[in-house]
Amino acid sequence: MRGEPLSLRSTLTGVRPLVLLAAALVAWELCARSALWSPIIFPSLVRIFTEFGLLVARSDRLMEAWHSLYRALAGFGLAAVVGVTLGMLMGRSNLIAGLLDPLFSGTYPVPKIALFPIFIFVFGIGSLSKVILIFLECLYPIVINTYHGARSVNRVLVWSALNMGASRGQILRKIVVPATAPFIFAGFRVALPVAMIVVIITEMVSSADGLGYLVMYSLSSLKTDRMLAAVIVIALLGLLLDGLLVLLRNRLVFWEKLETYYT
Amino acid sequence: MEILRYLAKGTLVVLVLVLWQLLWLLGLPEYVLGPLEILKHFAAELVSGELLPHIWASLVRSLPGFAIGTLLGISFGLLAGVARAFDQMLSPLIFLTYPVPKIVMLPIFMLWFGIGDLSKIMIIALACFYPTFINAYYGAKATPTILVWSGLNMGARRWDIFRKVVVPSALPLIFAGIRVSLALSFIVMFATEMINAPTGLGHLIRVAEGGLRFDLMYVSLLAIAILGYLSDALLRLTRGRVLAWQEQAA
Repeated sequence: MRGEPLSLRSTLTGVRPLVLLAAALVAWELCARSALWSPIIFPSLVRIFTEFGLLVARSDRLMEAWHSLYRALAGFGLAAVVGVTLGMLMGRSNLIAGLLDPLFSGTYPVPKIALFPIFIFVFGIGSLSKVILIFLECLYPIVINTYHGARSVNRVLVWSALNMGASRGQILRKIVVPATAPFIFAGFRVALPVAMIVVIITEMVSSADGLGYLVMYSLSSLKTDRMLAAVIVIALLGLLLDGLLVLLRNRLVFWEKLETYYT
Repeated sequence: MEILRYLAKGTLVVLVLVLWQLLWLLGLPEYVLGPLEILKHFAAELVSGELLPHIWASLVRSLPGFAIGTLLGISFGLLAGVARAFDQMLSPLIFLTYPVPKIVMLPIFMLWFGIGDLSKIMIIALACFYPTFINAYYGAKATPTILVWSGLNMGARRWDIFRKVVVPSALPLIFAGIRVSLALSFIVMFATEMINAPTGLGHLIRVAEGGLRFDLMYVSLLAIAILGYLSDALLRLTRGRVLAWQEQAA
């Protein structure tokens, strides 16, 4: 296909992914210009992008993004460390799996977000209660994926290593960790968007800073163009973090390429 | 070892509950209630009839949203999995917006659809759409080509192949997607109710928080936990029935 001169068919295929996006943007701008709705309901793209520029250029607005980012990453990082450790332990020891598995699978379908009001009382209304809630929500996918990964390590590999006189530490480092790595990253990839969701929700519910707060504050001041600009920043942040994670994963787990739609 | 494992199962859960109750008897801050106290308050609220309208209001929001989102997600995902033109048009947009937290659309939906139930149902549907779309998409894509060829060879029409080969082979992944969506629907429902709603469990917990009614906070927490747990159990039961032909439905 690629070598051919530009035929109508190949151009069509190349352009197709953009069709829907372009149509949505045009429809939006038409709604904004049609004067059928108030500009508060459909602010024009120009105004949204002006606000977006202001958001990125002004340091105090950029701080809001930083507040959200460090909360999400702190909770996610904590969950990554604890989750991988717990998952590994559960995968390698039947006793620990027997103890912890009922606890995790029993509370898995329970929405942890409901604990937030109680966390506010226990950990205060600052960042700590949010970070702990993000930690808790991220812990589940990471533990469950790591656990399944560590359990499905090929036994033949472990046996051959034992046969060749490898110590427990060597087996863990050279066989179990590399074999589990793809599962761990699969868990991370589920957990990272969850961290973003929870940080935005908690900031919308109770906060005085962060992007979630900025969205709600702009909405109550009827500055919908600023609100949509904040939404765009949140979306870009989510995309960026996921992209970075995929990059890191493909570096570390280089023997198994992850297929993504966008790179 | 097997006996040990059997004994270990559930021990920690019981241990945590007992320790919690003992600690509470010894004296915990007033915002932490013991498990037995929570159960007592829960039963009382259930009998007094104060809790049921809130549970109902929450379900009326989460279930339609879940149904709309998963149905659209499954049908679009399957379609994108089999029709290339559709795939090329829709999938990049879906995969691009997948890591974006969908809850940020709530304020916009509130502007468009009002602050009533409609905006909440729409946002729940949006959140539920993504996991089912992606799972149905990959499920349809991963249909073994041999099966499709044999079907074609035996003279099956396209529609028959879709119905009898593609859909059944995508079903296990579709159920995995539905399970994620179900959990998401409760999270988003609770979040939207905490942000603004005149009824529902999320609203109840906010009111309780404002009035320092810790008993009521734990009651609504327990109610949402039970709802999440029950619906998940129901889903697993359905999957066991539907996927009975699959060897490991666990």
